[in-house]
Amino acid sequence: MEIRIDKEGKTPMYLQISRRIREMILSGTLPAGFRLPPERKLAEELQVNRTTVLNAYRELKSGGFVDSHIGQGTTVTLRQASEDTVWESGGSGTPDMPSMPWEQLFSESSLRIQDTTVRDLLGGVRSDMILFAAGVTVPGHDSLEALKRIQAEVLESSGRIAVQHTPTEGLFPLRESICELMRERGINAKAAETMVLTGSQQGLDLIARAFIEAGDVVLAEEPTFFSAVHIFKAAGARVVGIPADNEGMRTDLLDMLVKRFKPKLIYTIPDFQNPSGAVMSMERRKTLLSVASRNQVVILEDDPYGLLRYEGKAMPALKAMDIYGNVLYLSTFSKLMFPGFRVGWLTAPPQVLYRLTMLKQMADLHTSSLPQLIIDRFLREGLIKEHLEKANKENRSRRDLMVSELESSHPDGMGWNRPEGGLYLWCRLPERVPQSRLLASSMERGVSFVPGDVFFPGSPLGNYIRLNYTYPTSEQIVEGVKRLMASYAGIAREQKKYGTGIANELGPII
Amino acid sequence: MFELARRMDKVKTSDIRELLKLTDKPGMISFGGGLPAPELFPVERLKEVTAKVLESSGAEALQYAATEGYQPLRRKIAERMNRRFGTLMSENNILVTCGSQQGLDFTGKIFINEGDTVLCESPTYLGAINAFSAYGPKMVEVPTDNDGMLPEQLEHILDTERNIRLIYVIPDSQNPSGRTWSTERRKRFMELLKGRNIPVLEDAPYSELRFDGNIMPSLKSMDTEGIIIYLGTFSKVFCPGMRIGWVAADERILEKYGLVKQGADLHSSNITQRNISAYMEMYDLDSDIERIRLVYKSRRDAMHKALLADFPGGARFTHPEGGLFTWVELEGDINTRELLVESLGSNVAFVPGESFFPNGGGKNTMRLNFSNMPEEKITEGIKILGDLIKRRVNCAEACVNRT
Repeated sequence: MEIRIDKEGKTPMYLQISRRIREMILSGTLPAGFRLPPERKLAEELQVNRTTVLNAYRELKSGGFVDSHIGQGTTVTLRQASEDTVWESGGSGTPDMPSMPWEQLFSESSLRIQDTTVRDLLGGVRSDMILFAAGVTVPGHDSLEALKRIQAEVLESSGRIAVQHTPTEGLFPLRESICELMRERGINAKAAETMVLTGSQQGLDLIARAFIEAGDVVLAEEPTFFSAVHIFKAAGARVVGIPADNEGMRTDLLDMLVKRFKPKLIYTIPDFQNPSGAVMSMERRKTLLSVASRNQVVILEDDPYGLLRYEGKAMPALKAMDIYGNVLYLSTFSKLMFPGFRVGWLTAPPQVLYRLTMLKQMADLHTSSLPQLIIDRFLREGLIKEHLEKANKENRSRRDLMVSELESSHPDGMGWNRPEGGLYLWCRLPERVPQSRLLASSMERGVSFVPGDVFFPGSPLGNYIRLNYTYPTSEQIVEGVKRLMASYAGIAREQKKYGTGIANELGPII
Repeated sequence: MFELARRMDKVKTSDIRELLKLTDKPGMISFGGGLPAPELFPVERLKEVTAKVLESSGAEALQYAATEGYQPLRRKIAERMNRRFGTLMSENNILVTCGSQQGLDFTGKIFINEGDTVLCESPTYLGAINAFSAYGPKMVEVPTDNDGMLPEQLEHILDTERNIRLIYVIPDSQNPSGRTWSTERRKRFMELLKGRNIPVLEDAPYSELRFDGNIMPSLKSMDTEGIIIYLGTFSKVFCPGMRIGWVAADERILEKYGLVKQGADLHSSNITQRNISAYMEMYDLDSDIERIRLVYKSRRDAMHKALLADFPGGARFTHPEGGLFTWVELEGDINTRELLVESLGSNVAFVPGESFFPNGGGKNTMRLNFSNMPEEKITEGIKILGDLIKRRVNCAEACVNRT
C-alpha cells in the first residue's frame, strides 16, 4: 500500500490519506477484506501524527469503506453486489467489463471546474476543530427564537404557498421587503428590478452564464473572493487583477486596464472586501463608475458585508450612485443572518433581470419557498434592525478580542488590519513563515484558516492568511490564537535555524 | 447597452414559465403544469416537523452545510432507493440538488459540448430540452412506442450517429406521454448500451406514482457498468416548493457533480434538507405516497372516461399506468397552440405538445395533466376542450367540402 502525501499542501493530511485509500478501494487495488495497516504503523511509515491516521480511518469508516473490530483491525468492507443478485448495480466494473472512462466523457467547460477549496472548507471538518476558516456569523438567541415563532405563523397562515412552486423571480412580497432593506445602503430599487436567488453564489453563476464567453476579460480586485474567480474562469473568462490597497481598488490604473484589456465586466466588493477588509473610498467609487460607464463595462457589485459595519461612517453602495444603469448589485442573507436558508438576491436593470430569470428557471426553477416566506416576515416585522445591531456589536467585541490576542503574543514579522466591519482579519506573514506550512501545522493543532494564496487570481502578491473572528466563540478565539501562535513560533524558529534559501527554487525537470 | 453571451440565444421563454402564470388565475381548470394536488400536502405535519428541527438543531440547521447534502438525508435516500427500486446505493452515491431541474442543468454542463449528440425519447420533457439546449447539442429523437424506445431504431442510431455524449430517458410514466417502458425493453436497452461508454440520464420523478402493478425495476438497478446517472426528486411525492431532489451515480462521476454544485449554489438549503429528513423519521413517506397514488389513479380514470366520452373519435390518447399526464394526438391539422388560445378564453389550460419535440413537429398533440384538479373539474374541462376540438374538426371538414 503506497501512499504519498503532500505535507505542505492545502488539503489536510488526514483527508489526503483517506482519499488515497478510498481511490485504491474503488479501483479494486484494495479488495474487500483487505486489512489496513495498524494506525501506529502507517503513522510511522508516513511520518505523521497517529491522530492523523486515526482521523483518516474514521473518515473512511463514516463513508462505509472500511470497518473496524476490536482485535481484527481495520478491514475494507464488501461493496460489490454479490454474484447472484438479479439486478446488480455498482459501477466499479467487473473483470470482463472495465469501468466507465468518465474523464474522457466530460465536456470542456466542466473540465475547467477544478477547485475544491470551498468544499474542503465546508466539509470534512473535525468536530473539535476551531474554525477561523469560516465566513459566517452566529445568529443570537433572540433571532433564533423569533425565527421559531415566525416559521410556525407562516406555516399557519401561508402553509400552501410554503410547499408549492413559487415564481422563479422569488415571492413578490419578499422582493418588496428586500428593496426596503436596500434603502439602508442608499439604494432606491423597485421590486421589479430585484430577484431572489439560491444564495448569492447563484447570482455569480447566472451572471457568468449570461455575460461571459470564452476569451472575455473580467477585472477584479486583487486579492478577491475566490469562488467568483473560479466561476468566471469556468465560464471561459480571463480574470485580470486590479491592484488594491486599503482604500480599495487602485482606480488610477483603471483607465489603462480597461483600454488594454477591454473587459466585459468589473467584479468588485467595495465594502469590507473579502479578504482584505478594505472599504473603497468615495473618490474611487466615483472614478470606477465613471470609467465603467464611459466604456460600457458592466460593474458587478458584490455586497454581502455592507450592512455588517460596526464602526465608522457608512458608505453608499455603488448601486446607490448608479446613474448610468450599469451596476448589477448582489447580496445575501447568508452573511446577514442565516446561511442555511440559501437565500440571496440581485438587483439589476429589468432587461438583465429578465435574462437571468430565464437562466434561473433552467437552473433550479425557483428558490425554496418556505425560507423565502420566513425571511419576508422577519424583514416586515422590522426584526432585522435589532438583529444586525446585536450581531455587529458582537462582531466588534470578537474583532477586539482577536486583535488583542494577536497583539499580546506579538508574533515577529506578522501584521494585520483592523477592519470597521465585515467578518475577517487579513494578516500578512513574513516570507520565512510560509502559509502552507502554517496551515498544516495549525490543522494538526486543530485550528483552521484560509491561506491567502487562494484569493489571488494570478500569482500571489505576498504571503497572507485570512482569519474569521465572528464564528468562533470568545473562548475559541483565545485558545485558537494561542495554538496558531505556537505553530507560528515553531515554524519561524525552524526557518531561522535552516534558512529559507531553497524554498522558492524550482528544480529542473529532466 | 449590455452585450450578452452568445449562449443566451439558446435560452428561450419556456411554456412552463408562462403556464405557472396561467394556472394562478382563479376559476381556471388547469391541465397545464405538472403540479401535484395541493390538498395532499402535509402542511399540518410540517408545522410540527419544522418546529422540531429548529428546536433540536436550529444553530446547525441555519449554517452552511456540505455541498453533497445533509448526510442523514443522503443515507435515507440511498436506503429508500435500494428498498423501492432495487438499487445498491450508499450515501456516497447521493448528491442532493435543488430539485431534479438542477440535476438536468448540471448534466448538460458536465457532458455536453457544442455540437455533441444527445439522444432522447420522442416526445420528451420540456425542462430537459431547455436545460440541454443551452449547451448547444444536436438532439436526436429515438422513435418510441407505448413500451419505450424501439430497440432496432435505437441500435441503428447508436451505430450511425457520431459523438453521442448522453442519452436522456424517463422510463416510468414519462413526461409528457405518460408511457412506461416494459421490463423487456429496459433489459434490451441496457444490452444495447453495453460496452459503448455512453452515460445515460435516467430521470425518475414519477416512478413511485404507479397505478397498475408493481414499481418497475429502474435502469439503475440493472446497471453493471455504472453508466446510469439517476435523478430523483421529492417534488412529485412530497412538496415541490421545497426544491429538493438528488443525483444518484457512481462516486467518480458524483465528485464532478459536487464541483459543479459548489459553483452553482454551494449547497441546497440546509434547513429544508433537515426538514425532509426529520419528516421521514417522524412519518411514513411510503403511506403518504400510497394516498397520493390512489387519488391520482381515480383522477386518471376520470380523465380517461371523459376523453372517451367527449373527445372526437379521431383523437388518440395514452392510458398512463402512472404519473401525472395523458398524451393526446388529435387528428389531421388541428393546431393545439391555436386551440390553447381559444380554450384559455373558456378557462381551460393545457400544454401544446409541440414544445416537447426538440426538433419541432407534433403540432396536433397536447399534454393533459390530471393530478392537479378534482374529478368533477376534470370532467367539466375535458367536455369544454372536446367541444372546442369537435368544432374545429367540423369546421375543417366543412372547408374541405366546400373546395
